[in-house]
Amino acid sequence: MVSPAIALAFLPLLLTMIIRYRYYFVLLYRAVLIRWVRDCLTGLSREERAFQYILTHATPGDAQSILDTFDHWCSKVEFISHIGPKKGKILDRLLQEHCPITVLELGTHCGYSTVRIARSLPIGARIYSVEMDERNAQVAEKIIRLAGFDEDMVELIVRPSDEVIPRLREDFGVERLDLVFMDHWKRCYLPDLQLLEGSGLLGEGSIILADNVIFPGAPNFLRHARRSGLYEVRVHRATLEYIRGIRDGMAELTFLGIK
Amino acid sequence: MNSAFTTWKWRKTLREVRRSRQQLQRREQLRWTLKEQRRNMRNATKQQGKRVRNMKKESESKSESDSAPESKDNQAVGVLGSLTPEELEKLKEAVDERKKLIATMRGKPWPMKKKLVVLSCVLSQGVTGVFIISFLYYSNCQKWMKFQRDFENFKTACIPWEMKIKEIESHFGSSVASYFIFLRWMYGINMILFGLTFGLVMVPEALMGKPYGSIPRKTVPREEEASAMNFAILWDFGGYAKYSVLFYGYYNSQRAIGWLKFRLPLSYFLVGVGTVAYSYMVVIRTMARNANEEGGGDDTSFNFSWKTFTSWDYLIGNPETADNKFASITTSFKEAIVEEQESRKDDNIHLTRFLRVLANFLVLCCLAGSGYLIYFVVRRSQKFALLGLENYGWWERNEVNMVMSLLGMFCPMLFDVISTLENYHPRVALQWQLGRIFALFLGNLYTFIIALMDAIQLKRAEEEIVKKNMTIWQANLYNGTVPDNSTAPPITVHPADIPRGPCWETMVGQEFVRLIISDTMTTYITLLIGDFLRAVLVRFLNNCWCWDLEYGFPSYSEFDVSGNVLGLIFNQGMIWMGAFYAPCLPALNLLRLHVSMYLQCWAVMCCNVPQERVFKASGSNNFYMAMLLVILFLSTLPAIYTIVSIPPSFDCGPFSGKTRMFDVIQETLESDFPAWFGKMFSYASNPGLVLPFLLLLVLAIYYLQSTSKTYKRVNMELKKKLQTVSWEVQMYVQMSPTVND
Repeated sequence: MVSPAIALAFLPLLLTMIIRYRYYFVLLYRAVLIRWVRDCLTGLSREERAFQYILTHATPGDAQSILDTFDHWCSKVEFISHIGPKKGKILDRLLQEHCPITVLELGTHCGYSTVRIARSLPIGARIYSVEMDERNAQVAEKIIRLAGFDEDMVELIVRPSDEVIPRLREDFGVERLDLVFMDHWKRCYLPDLQLLEGSGLLGEGSIILADNVIFPGAPNFLRHARRSGLYEVRVHRATLEYIRGIRDGMAELTFLGIK
Repeated sequence: MNSAFTTWKWRKTLREVRRSRQQLQRREQLRWTLKEQRRNMRNATKQQGKRVRNMKKESESKSESDSAPESKDNQAVGVLGSLTPEELEKLKEAVDERKKLIATMRGKPWPMKKKLVVLSCVLSQGVTGVFIISFLYYSNCQKWMKFQRDFENFKTACIPWEMKIKEIESHFGSSVASYFIFLRWMYGINMILFGLTFGLVMVPEALMGKPYGSIPRKTVPREEEASAMNFAILWDFGGYAKYSVLFYGYYNSQRAIGWLKFRLPLSYFLVGVGTVAYSYMVVIRTMARNANEEGGGDDTSFNFSWKTFTSWDYLIGNPETADNKFASITTSFKEAIVEEQESRKDDNIHLTRFLRVLANFLVLCCLAGSGYLIYFVVRRSQKFALLGLENYGWWERNEVNMVMSLLGMFCPMLFDVISTLENYHPRVALQWQLGRIFALFLGNLYTFIIALMDAIQLKRAEEEIVKKNMTIWQANLYNGTVPDNSTAPPITVHPADIPRGPCWETMVGQEFVRLIISDTMTTYITLLIGDFLRAVLVRFLNNCWCWDLEYGFPSYSEFDVSGNVLGLIFNQGMIWMGAFYAPCLPALNLLRLHVSMYLQCWAVMCCNVPQERVFKASGSNNFYMAMLLVILFLSTLPAIYTIVSIPPSFDCGPFSGKTRMFDVIQETLESDFPAWFGKMFSYASNPGLVLPFLLLLVLAIYYLQSTSKTYKRVNMELKKKLQTVSWEVQMYVQMSPTVND
């Protein structure tokens, strides 16, 4: 009925789609297919596999070595979506400029970004790291202790972020947050931002850094940040971590203070 | 920045209506206040003039009543005494100035009238009406200047769609705007073509020719009468639409019609030839004009400084205009940056060359594949046609159309993706893209013409059969009556019952009209679905989707300049090909272009985002013209071939009964012109005269080409000399302070 000629006419379209979105296919292969295969083969979760690799290949106590091993694993073996080396450089520069004392991190995952922030902080600073998932939090704790950061510097909280933020002041005695780093579910960026605004923990000059605002993207968050007038927004454009060709960005919001 | 910009644009359509209404009200108010001011000023000057005249009259009357001469002086002193000393000084200065001016005027060797006019123009610029020498010349001069200004404004306001195109240019850059300017230019050409065909062919036949139903070619046949008014048949241009002035077959071959003795067949032929000749002339004239403008190159230094300090227009008072101006300045900066980047690129020549050769090879493979696919499909459809089309379903009947439109949609996307290998400047990349899609569409054109030629041959074979049957039918008709030559009355048969031949010219015209309509429908539907529906989905699904649709996969579409330009050019080619056989085609195209302009302007502002690399498109104009010229040549070839080599149908059209269509010229020369004219014409068209003339033309072209090359070279050398001189002067100026020290 449908002749082969019409089917062949769709061939250019197929080729175009494949060539134009080749990086997304590569990402799909690495982030989804390989992970699924390895999960079935080894029975461990991806984070546990990462921890085992780091245990065997990195020098304990050396934050830089742990970060390098992590980068190596993510680019060569499997793919984990946290802040990569390129965007990490932007983060380092920001930390050096502002030297925050109190840092809130939403979404620890494996602890890569926690280690990255902790090594640039001055003595006496404190990071509150929030992670919702139990198993990930355990892996993250091990990695952070392996890097040599103790209880004084890094505090890991294992509860969903929308429960933690309203109770930060009472439970942990936090008065003002100098830096907030968001890297958890993109859908939660906007609600958490609004919770932070409501809780009064942000002061003038507080910085909120949100990762992956372009891919997968958090359009509502960006729209709110630009329209509300409370923030000065700047989007740092870069590529998605460990994959070249997919564009991504980090949003840096500077709280201007409620007038 | 992008998403805010696009969401702002999306709401524009609602805001625009409100704003434009407010703007209109504000403008009206402004105009009224300005009018009031102007009226007040005029009244003030009139009153001042009146006061002066009254004072003069008073002084005169007083002097008449009061015969003493001192009273005049008293009056004058009275007037002067009312002024303060500073004002007196000013008056004295003004009077001295005027005296000087008049003295200089006196010295010039001009006629008196000119002197008076110049004087009054010079004077009128300063003063508001008190020291006027010749009021009549003053008012005339002012009125003339005002008239000229208003006429210039009127001429600019008369250019259609200017504000729309300016708005699009400010947001999307000059490449997208160049498409719309091209569209507008095509509209102008089609207007002229429409005027020619409508006024000189369709209207005379409709008004002065025989009415519907009087002769067989003008009547719907008996078999088709029942369905002639159905919408489906009319949409397909059959039924009553086929037997009307829209198509070739309706026209009568009577040599002169009506009280004007209008030579319709001659007019039909000459309009056909004139259409092509006018199109050639206009295209080449535009190319020459564009080449003139391009001739001077831009060797501006401090490009960005000029742009930064002089771009803003301080006379803008309207917020929407300010937004547009802001957008256009941003766009022009982006364009300048791209130009600068391209001129500074440091590349690995061998790798680039290899990649470009590879890209061209891939494109050639794709073109060859699509050409073979089209050939295969056309062969299959010919096989189906031989076996009878009724046996096959919808897919088989429309296979050729489907394959051609699918390939036309998908192959350009593939070419676009392959062209990222080549790494050209965006303007050059656009030209390559245009060239490749052109080659693809030529395949479509070739199949269409082959199919048409086959159909014409079929119809002509049918015509022979009908001619034979005609004699048998006529014999049968007279069979029943008494074979008495002189007294038998001629049997009247209703025109609808007379068998008629298959008019191949009307069939060709119908094919072209159907093609244009289906092409238009495809374009509009693709626009609505591909652009509008996509934009709606992206805008409203973005709230509940896991990734950002605006930045990520579908996002808003960009305006496809190359596809649209080529669509326009090929469309015009179809018009040129078919206008001889379907005089309604220019009218149809005019309507289509009109609708396209509004629809596409709206779609661009509503659904599209600007391209990432915006570039100046001034160089592409001549490229479009060159392609149009090629298409014009290619599309008039088949029409001329059919006119010259295929004999016209025996019973339809203005050339029925002749052996060749161009015999009408011969006939006109013999019957309408005096004998010596015909002889002169036959001498002039002698090959012995024509060939040397052609040779002379070729030599003239060669000569003009070489002189223009030398002028260009001399121009460049002069420019270089000018540059070196200016540098030398700069160096000298820089060095001179140290020399003086």
